Amino acid sequence: MIQHILVYITLAISVGYIVTKFFIPKSIWSSKKDSSKSCGQDGCGCH
Amino acid sequence: MSKQINVALIGNPNTGKTSVFNQLTGLNQKVGNYPGITVEKKEGICKLPRGVKAHILDLPGTYSLNTTSLDESVAVELLLNKNDKDHPDVAIVVSDVENLKRNLLLFTQIKDLKIPAILVINMADRMSRKGITIDIELLEKKLNSKIALVSTRKETGINKLRELIADYKNLPKTQNVDISVIAPEYFEKLATTFPKEDVYKLWLVITQDVNFMPLEKTLFKDASSFATKSKSELKRLQQKETILRYQFINGILKETYKVDLNAAKGFRATLDKVLTHKIFGYLIFFLILLTIFQAIYGWSEYPMDLIDGFFASATEWVKDTLPPGVFTNLIAEGILAGIGGIVIFIPQIAFLFLFIALLEETGYMSRVVFLMDRIMRPFGLSGKSVVPLISGTACAIPAVMATRTIENWKERLITILVTPFTTCSARLPVYLIIIALVIPEGSFLGLSYKALTLMSLYLMGFGAAILSAVILNKILKIKSKSFFVVEMPNYKLPLLKNVGYTVLEKTKSFVFGAGKIILAISIILWFLGSNGFSDEFKNAETIVTKRVEQEGFSASSEIYFDTHQDGLDINDPNASDQQKELEERALAQEIAGYKLEHSYMGYMGKAIEPIVRPLGYDWKIGIAVITSFAAREVFVGTLATIYSVGNDEEETIKNRMAAEVNPRTQKPLFNLASGVSLLLFYAFAMQCMSTLAVVKRETNSWKWPAGQLVFMSLFAYIVALIAYQLLK
Repeated sequence: MIQHILVYITLAISVGYIVTKFFIPKSIWSSKKDSSKSCGQDGCGCH
Repeated sequence: MSKQINVALIGNPNTGKTSVFNQLTGLNQKVGNYPGITVEKKEGICKLPRGVKAHILDLPGTYSLNTTSLDESVAVELLLNKNDKDHPDVAIVVSDVENLKRNLLLFTQIKDLKIPAILVINMADRMSRKGITIDIELLEKKLNSKIALVSTRKETGINKLRELIADYKNLPKTQNVDISVIAPEYFEKLATTFPKEDVYKLWLVITQDVNFMPLEKTLFKDASSFATKSKSELKRLQQKETILRYQFINGILKETYKVDLNAAKGFRATLDKVLTHKIFGYLIFFLILLTIFQAIYGWSEYPMDLIDGFFASATEWVKDTLPPGVFTNLIAEGILAGIGGIVIFIPQIAFLFLFIALLEETGYMSRVVFLMDRIMRPFGLSGKSVVPLISGTACAIPAVMATRTIENWKERLITILVTPFTTCSARLPVYLIIIALVIPEGSFLGLSYKALTLMSLYLMGFGAAILSAVILNKILKIKSKSFFVVEMPNYKLPLLKNVGYTVLEKTKSFVFGAGKIILAISIILWFLGSNGFSDEFKNAETIVTKRVEQEGFSASSEIYFDTHQDGLDINDPNASDQQKELEERALAQEIAGYKLEHSYMGYMGKAIEPIVRPLGYDWKIGIAVITSFAAREVFVGTLATIYSVGNDEEETIKNRMAAEVNPRTQKPLFNLASGVSLLLFYAFAMQCMSTLAVVKRETNSWKWPAGQLVFMSLFAYIVALIAYQLLK
């Protein structure tokens, strides 16, 4: 029983990690986002 | 609590800044990113005399404070922003003894910001060889600062530098150059409009090509008096400022810096002639590449076998020692198998980075960039594209970042789009395991077939990048070309300490960067492979036992017998027991295989199998191809996990893969045709979510990464399909 619980906990952590890493945009966690300064636009200053 | 002071390490590229940083901080360093941008941030702690500690920040290399790229702006932003927690109490400007004049431009700019600055004249050990003499005392007086003459190679001058840092409060904050003389009226107006601000600081903010995050140019929008200066006028003033600074520097160096030209004649020119020669240059580079790939194979074999054996034993030990149950199985078959699948490649990755670090340290890499520029130009790529393409051999993400130095937007875009074709270190584990399985032993002119295959894959990656650039160049119609300037640093013997740090840091980031993803995916895969809902899964033992009794063992088990019966002696009275034990093991493996096929993962794999079958892959490889979309290295970890689920054998990953049989052809799954098909698929496919995310950020649109993904995946699929169909 304990081994099953441990497996499910480990699985939940792993799924959580993969979901937050690849499927949830970082901007949700970080408030620092300003697309006006991103590259690829005229006058963004990077090129 | 002891006091900690902030120290910024700044300097031109190739001045040995990193060596000074390594000497000051030793192993007390960490690498990260600046917040909001993926520019590498290296910081460390240095213990100073009198119990003082210094937080040393190694800033990206820059030639001056007049920045043109985002990387350089990081340095300027930190120096200008007093509210930044890393704003330096003292700046260490590292210069190279042979290029002091150019390096002093940056030094005088920092001094003019009224930041206490120490000048480090590095590579002092070259002075006698190059016939250089410096009157340090007079130079200190003229620059109104303190100087440390350092040789990181001979480890001299570092203690003096530590003392100077500790004593930073006594450093003068006076300016070197009064730039207001270039346009007195303009600067007077600036000073009266912003009486609280430093004029030189304002001037820097106004003239930067890059917007700063905390120091917006909008500050000046309301000040109508500054609308009088157009961009071209500002540029002209900036040039005047540079001329003024060089006049000041020339005046000082005339009295303090002497070079005996007769003594300075070195063998650099001769070596450059050979290494950058139109024919010999390429020939030498090609031979160096051959040696590297041969060494990667030759030298890594023994440590790799050790690691592989260690993980096989560790799995066995876990199963024997821990209480039996699902969690023990997860550790043995999921976690250990997944981690083992990546750790095994540490020796080869470390050797690759060792050679790259040696080429960089000796100064040869700049010659390679110069050589490659000649090849790139006819294909419409900028000479500056060479640096990202070469950095791409480590990882595409920093390589895509490195395109920021390309001023022309379209050239930059092309470089961003083609860089992921370069063979990155994440592809290496996939190549190595497949090559080991399908490429036969043997050699050609003393070079093993395996090393030659690996090198061909690297060359193919570059070839695909160049070919795609030609196509994109035609589609995107680039009209203007940017110029290419590369600094050729002096040749020097590599500092083993620096090489060691680089190898350690790169290998660490390779293992830990992908390690967490591999671990998580291995756990999820193990779960999906160890559980199922169907009756076949639940009654696997009965079904398989009955089938074996009626039809005998499968082809996979026949191979198992062939490989394990070698030591069996039929005259031995215990032989029948051993035979029985072998049969029991084979039966257990067949049950495990049947369960896997009917597990959740099995059903998922079967669903995608029709897409990958024409390439010669089965559903297990299909699963590995899908999971490795997170990161290519996951491919090996996935297969290691899949082949370990339910398997009690103490076997290495390579042996497990070699024993796999294609149920349709009843031949080994990993053969020359499917192996080459897999190698080509991974050489060209865009199997990296992180790179796509970075491309999206750098291009500010999903259009480009989406196009890149579709083009690369289709190209990879078609090439792999042709290869399999021709070779099968």
